Amino acid sequence: MDIKTEVLIVGGGATGAGICRDLALRGIPCVLIEKGDLASGASGRNHGLFHSGGRYAVADPEASRECITENGILRKIAPHCIEETDGFFVSLPEDGLAFRDKFLQACEKVGIQTTLLNRDEVLSLEPELNPNLLSAVKVPDGAIDPFTLVLENARDAELHGVKILLHSEVTSLILDGDRVKGAKTKDRIRGEEYTIEASYFVNATGAWANQILKLVGLRIGMALSKGSMLITNTRLNHGVINRCRPPSDADIVVPNDTVSILGTTSIRLEDVEHFEVTPDEVSLLVQEGSKMIPAIRETRFIRAYAGIRPLFLSEEKGDDRAISRGFVLIDHAKRDGLQNLITITGGKLVTYRLMAERTSDLICQKMGRNTACSTHSNPLPGASRPAGLRERFKQFSAARGEIVCDCELVPRKEVEELLGTEKLRDFQDILHRTRLAKGTCQGGFCVYRLLGVLHDSKMLQGDSNKILKGFLEERWKGIRPILWGAAVKEEELIEYIYKGIFNF
Amino acid sequence: MEKPWPKTNSDVCIRCAACTAVCPVSRVSPKFPGPKQAGPGAERFRTPGEPSVDQWIDLCIGCHLCDMACASGVNISELNLIAKAKYTDEKGRPFRDWLLTHTYLFSPLGSLFSPIANLLLKSGTIRWLADSLLKIDRRRKLPRYESPTFRQWFKAHHFNSHKKMAYFYGCYTNTNEVDVAKATVEVLEANGFEVTLPSQRCCGIPMLGNGDFKGARKLGLWNVPSLLNSVRSGLDIVFSSTSCGHMIKHEYSNLLNIPGSEEVAQHTFDIFEFLRNLKEGGNLNTDFRKSSLRAAYFAPCHLKSLGIGFPAFDILQLIPGFKVDYIAADCCGLGGTFGFKKEKYEISEEIGRDLAEAIDRLKPEIVLSDCEGCRMQIRHLTGLKVLHPIQILRDAMTR
Ligand SMILES: Cc1cc2nc3c(=O)[nH]c(=O)nc-3n(C[C@H](O)[C@H](O)[C@H](O)COP(=O)(O)OP(=O)(O)OC[C@H]3O[C@@H](n4cnc5c(N)ncnc54)[C@H](O)[C@@H]3O)c2cc1C
Ligand code: SF4
Ligand code: SF4
Repeated sequence: MDIKTEVLIVGGGATGAGICRDLALRGIPCVLIEKGDLASGASGRNHGLFHSGGRYAVADPEASRECITENGILRKIAPHCIEETDGFFVSLPEDGLAFRDKFLQACEKVGIQTTLLNRDEVLSLEPELNPNLLSAVKVPDGAIDPFTLVLENARDAELHGVKILLHSEVTSLILDGDRVKGAKTKDRIRGEEYTIEASYFVNATGAWANQILKLVGLRIGMALSKGSMLITNTRLNHGVINRCRPPSDADIVVPNDTVSILGTTSIRLEDVEHFEVTPDEVSLLVQEGSKMIPAIRETRFIRAYAGIRPLFLSEEKGDDRAISRGFVLIDHAKRDGLQNLITITGGKLVTYRLMAERTSDLICQKMGRNTACSTHSNPLPGASRPAGLRERFKQFSAARGEIVCDCELVPRKEVEELLGTEKLRDFQDILHRTRLAKGTCQGGFCVYRLLGVLHDSKMLQGDSNKILKGFLEERWKGIRPILWGAAVKEEELIEYIYKGIFNF
Repeated sequence: MEKPWPKTNSDVCIRCAACTAVCPVSRVSPKFPGPKQAGPGAERFRTPGEPSVDQWIDLCIGCHLCDMACASGVNISELNLIAKAKYTDEKGRPFRDWLLTHTYLFSPLGSLFSPIANLLLKSGTIRWLADSLLKIDRRRKLPRYESPTFRQWFKAHHFNSHKKMAYFYGCYTNTNEVDVAKATVEVLEANGFEVTLPSQRCCGIPMLGNGDFKGARKLGLWNVPSLLNSVRSGLDIVFSSTSCGHMIKHEYSNLLNIPGSEEVAQHTFDIFEFLRNLKEGGNLNTDFRKSSLRAAYFAPCHLKSLGIGFPAFDILQLIPGFKVDYIAADCCGLGGTFGFKKEKYEISEEIGRDLAEAIDRLKPEIVLSDCEGCRMQIRHLTGLKVLHPIQILRDAMTR
């Protein structure tokens, strides 16, 4: 199967999915290729903070301005992916108030609305906060569901004729003079190899950007930084909690549906595929997080995970956080004389749409076309669907059918509908598209039930023991760093159940 | 901000579902998702400021069996109760629930006019009216009032001793099962104790069970100082209703945070627990008449939750010739006022079916239980004579 298209986008994260939707809405044919599932890179392994821009207001007003503008746009086009919780920049006694005053000024300059709250006011909104806090500044932060965001972008693109190839990897690029002629690709499940020819190539592989560029002998000044996060069993905060001080490690707690997420760390590394959360990081996250929310010291965690940030080195600085969080858009025609290759990397989830717009503008310019972007006013397909915790609980309360995942209340019906409508290729694909296995037991109890559902609907492909084993190995990686207290007890029970299943 | 409810800990739940395996309601009704889901599971979905959506929460009967099954110590029934309180606070309680939980206010009147009151309670028309207007199920017999009340009887009763006890008889016993209280007094006297009655009101458990924390707390705040008075003047307190006992010993401090309740709890005993303590010290009057009765004993949920074993069952064994079997069944299904409610009647009866069948297998002449709710339900389900074990003990004492 060889494919020919106008634009080939490599990388199915928020950026790649955003670009193919943008191009599709402009009527430009394109193909998206992703080596895993959608959102299997940084887009599915981040903190989920729907930035107001407050975090960058003091150090990087430009990135901050981008955030607040996109923040406003996404509330309109993707309301079902966002929980409008607001965020609080909390000043603890050891932080003093000097930074807070700078912060307030910087926010005003950038155009971020702030409200200064005294101790009692903020404690009445967030009772779990450290009661010794001095004050807090309220900003329009929120929580974003990155999976839905990416999936909905891809879905809309598909509705507009885009072809999306998942579990398929670009393995080499074919050069023809000063142009890239095609990409050699490999289907990672079936092993098939084929070529995709295109007039333009977009490298939207985030942290993998240099790996693609290496295929044509190029390289950009980019560093990789690992950020680790911890997920609590229950949600501790209503809004996003930030420390009101220059950005540092472990100073944000983002609420996310049923849970809260503590993060992040920042550790340089070379390998973009193999990394894990270390005990030191866990201690740091708990220690720093509990300064803002004391209950974190005793609360139960259900998983640890990490993601890799690509950091664009405009100039070398000591601390990774001082490096611009803004994105870079590189026209390799200008930079390296390679006429039809573009790299887009860096940035934030929150700025994915802007990144896609700029990239698409550049492609249009190269094509000599003059079609305007419409993604800022064109809502995503599921935009009217009700979202959120309460809604799910309400549905569960009203009409309870068979529930597959007890912890996150995922009904069997939802799983069956998903299996009926989407062409899923991998077991993990199902987990990316539901909240299955995201709760207290992390799939310990529901995943073997899921296999039953797959079996009943005759969709179980391959050796189910192998599938289960693959899942358990991935799960173990996330669980091992937080195994203490109640989590150990539950793990013993789950281990016992699986020993039974595997007949040990 | 003041925390409106005590802090509870659903975090330690390991999702094992042992609690759901023992829950009598989820056994019979698919409408109730079971303690694992309704308690620690749902807790992850509840947002303090948001209105409740879990309308099934008031199906929890409050039996505490889940708490006893949970090896991780999750206070499941408490989580349910708190959620129920929030739900009913928001939704408002029907007049029916007010009536069912405030019987202590009008029971003395019922007692005073018992001939008329009982006729009315028995009348088909009244029961039909109660059923259709108030949604109190007409298949339930409403308890009869007795006259004089226990308190009135006690006034005319004299016994002096240097050993003194305080007695919390409970409002139902006072007006509807006077002989239970009399028997308690008589047994204590046979053991040389002079009984005093601290002033008291309904313990509040019907309100608590209906999610009315405020009302329950008010009664607790009334009762505790009075009971504390007895305790501080050196008296131990006994109760003959395990539900009142459960309320005083556990919920007053645990859920309702009533000052002084811990001290009261330390000196408050189930009547048979008290007698068993006497026996262990060699001080129990065991001068029992021979009996040829064949009885079956049912342990109420609120006795189990007291964690004192089955003292009545132990003591009854001391009566020569008396044969008593232990009924192997969990929860009678009445759940205080639960089973009177039209929309819950079927669930209540279905839960009780196990118990009725277990009794049927034993074929006793008489059934015994320490809780008035269980006694009502067993009468309703089996038509047998049902007494408090203290009545049997009193009858066996040679006077
Ligand atoms: C720890 C951490 C915390 C973060 N927190 C936040 C936050 O709170 N809020 C926020 O707005 N942003 C946050 N971000 C940033 C945000 O996650 C990223 O900016 C965004 O997800 C980048 O999306 P992307 O599509 O550019 O990259 P990615 O999502 O990484 O997508 C790149 C994709 O390319 C694919 N790929 C790579 N090589 C190939 C190949 N050869 N062939 C085919 N496909 C290939 C990969 O599989 C991957 O799916 C965070 C990032 C990290 C790491
Ligand atoms: S208290 Fe009883 S009815 Fe309520 S959930 Fe627990 S076991 Fe079930
Ligand atoms: S509440 Fe207790 S018994 Fe019930 S599932 Fe959790 S740990 Fe098990």
